[in-house]
Formats: sequence, structure tokens, C-alpha cells
Amino acid sequence: MGKIIAVHSYKGGTGKTLLSVNLAATFAKQGKKVCLFDLDFRAPSLFAILKIQGAECWVNDYLNNNCDINKVLIDLTQRINGKGKLFVGLANPETEAIRDMSAKDRKWEMHALGRLLYLRNALLNDKEFDYLVFDTSPGLQYSSINAIVAADLVAVATTGDRSDVDGTRRMLRELYNLFEKKTGVVINKVLDFNSKNKREELYDRVKNTYQVPLLGIVPCFCDILRAEGSFIFALDKPDHPFSLLLDEMAKKIDANEVK
Amino acid sequence: MSKEDVLGKKPLVILEKIKENLERLNEKMEVFIELQKHDRKDSRQPLSDTPLDVMTLLSMPDHLRKTAMTICRCGRATAEETSQHTTRARAVESAYLNQLVLMGYLKKERKGRKAYFYVERENER
Repeated sequence: MGKIIAVHSYKGGTGKTLLSVNLAATFAKQGKKVCLFDLDFRAPSLFAILKIQGAECWVNDYLNNNCDINKVLIDLTQRINGKGKLFVGLANPETEAIRDMSAKDRKWEMHALGRLLYLRNALLNDKEFDYLVFDTSPGLQYSSINAIVAADLVAVATTGDRSDVDGTRRMLRELYNLFEKKTGVVINKVLDFNSKNKREELYDRVKNTYQVPLLGIVPCFCDILRAEGSFIFALDKPDHPFSLLLDEMAKKIDANEVK
Repeated sequence: MSKEDVLGKKPLVILEKIKENLERLNEKMEVFIELQKHDRKDSRQPLSDTPLDVMTLLSMPDHLRKTAMTICRCGRATAEETSQHTTRARAVESAYLNQLVLMGYLKKERKGRKAYFYVERENER
């Protein structure tokens, strides 16, 4: 049976969306059937990154019980060079929709959790998807915690920023652990990664600080900043060091190395 | 119950019936203990009117969260099925499940000999 991966972080700007998109694309490139979901309802961005003009139905509509999940999925398989399949479910970027999602009450959130849990049956069981990747909002947002509860694995994106490190540690202890979630950490935007000493020191520090499996360390690539989100590295630049790191990360997840 | 039933024709059926009755009795005692703990007389009025959402799950004690999470994942399960997921004893799960029902977070429904526990969600699908 397939897996649900929630990509989450304590702070914004840690590279969750970049990681989600490229991880989903990498899985698809490796022959898997994947669906990427934008669950960042406060700041939807996948429609812009993937250059999709509109959707028949948004993830918002699915969670609101207004449509079936099949109407939400957009097939992007033709963008991949490989045997896999890539679909995406987008969050509605209109201001009114963002406002609507921000005003939901606890009952609605509970119902939304039921709808997310139902994806396991509808997509992993019935449609034989290998991976569902949830791109979430940072911090303790209702929608993000729902995504974490529904997921099998949480990939936590973090940086070297002191407040981010502190917040990530707290979330590991007080959120992921409480829900007994398998968790792997991705350290993003790391400077001076080429020096061997620095690399070894960082591995030790990460191990001691978080005490969870390390999914990967991503150096601060100027190419990624320069690209301004205009292309997907895993698909458009498969030989770029970032894409190669993603290949390794996907293999680790696929081999169940995160316990 | 006839003499031949007791002597061997249906001993398994009888034992199962006794087990079932003991389980029901056990459940009733658990409900009674919980009611006494909270100084209440009526089990139909839940302790809480907040839904079983993720924030409620986060604030729960660990032992109840584990049980509640299992029901959230399965949608609907008996104490036996829950215990298979949590790897705790069936009787322990039965106590926790009934406690969650009393707290108003789960619903309980009997179908024949089995009691099913579930989260009530309106317009699920």
C-alpha cells in the first residue's frame, strides 16, 4: 500500500513547497504514481509554480464536501520523462477562498480530517497511488495538523536559523511524537556545505539536536534562488546537485529508512 | 438450557455466551465507574461538547489519544480491532473506548454481539 507524506515546518520560508514539488516529481520520475496536494490554504502557491491557470475543482471544494476527489486531480504526467504518473490537487488562491478557509470552525476541521483520511481509501487503495505528498502551512495551523495526523511520514523542512531549530525541536516533541508519526528532517539552505569538516560537524549537530532520522541536507543553491520558482529542478534539471539530493531522499523514503 | 447442552453438545456456544455476557457486564461497570468519577447519573449527556478534532487529540492524555487516533484512522472499530492496532489488551481498549464515549468524543453502536465505536462526522462523503 502507498504512503502519505506531509511536508511541514515550524517557520515559513524553509523550502516546504520547493521540497514537496520536487519530491513528488522525483517519485514520479522514478516510476511511481504520485499526487501532490496544496494544503497551504492561507498562501496557495502550487498553481503558480506549476503554471496551471485554473481547476475544475479545488482541494477546498473537496474538503467542503462539494465535489469528488477525482474532480480535483489534474494530470501532469505529460511533463515527466519516465514511467510514473504525476497528479496535483490545488488550493484555491482567490482571496475570498483564503478568507473562507481561515474562518472555519472546529467541527469543520474535524470533518476535513475525515476527508483527508478518506484519501487513503480513495487514492492509495482504490486508485493505487504510491505516494500522496501534502504541502502544508507552517506551524500549528489546523489544516497542517490535520495533514500530519493523516500522514504516514512527516518530512520536516528546517534551516539553521536559531528560532527555527528551537521551534522544530519543540514540534518534534510536542506534535509529531504525540501523534506517533514517523518523522525525518531536511536541513535546507545550508552554507559552506562543501567543506568536509563543516559537513561532518553538521551531521553530528543534527543528530544530537533532533534525534530523528535525517532525510537530507540541502546546501543553499544560488541556482534555485535565481530560478525564482520558474522551473522544477527534478524534471527540468535532472543532473543538478539538488535533483540528485532529491533522488537520494526519495530512495530513502521508498526503502522505508525513516522509522 | 438442557442437560445435554451442558454436557457436551454446545459447550463452546455456552462459553461464548458467558464470555459475551461478562464483557457486557464489564462494559456496564466501566460506564458506571466513569459516571461515579465525574459525579454524574446519566451517561447520555456527554462531558464535553467539543468535537474530536486534532486540537482535542493533542490535549488528551497519551493513553486515550492512542485509542482515539486508532478510531480516527479506522473510521469504525470494535475494542478487539482497536487492541490489534494499539497492541494493548482488549479489556483495556474497551475501558478507554467507553471513557471516550462518555466524554462525548466517540459514538457507540451495537450490531448483534459486537459494539462498534466511531467518530460522528456529518456528511462524511
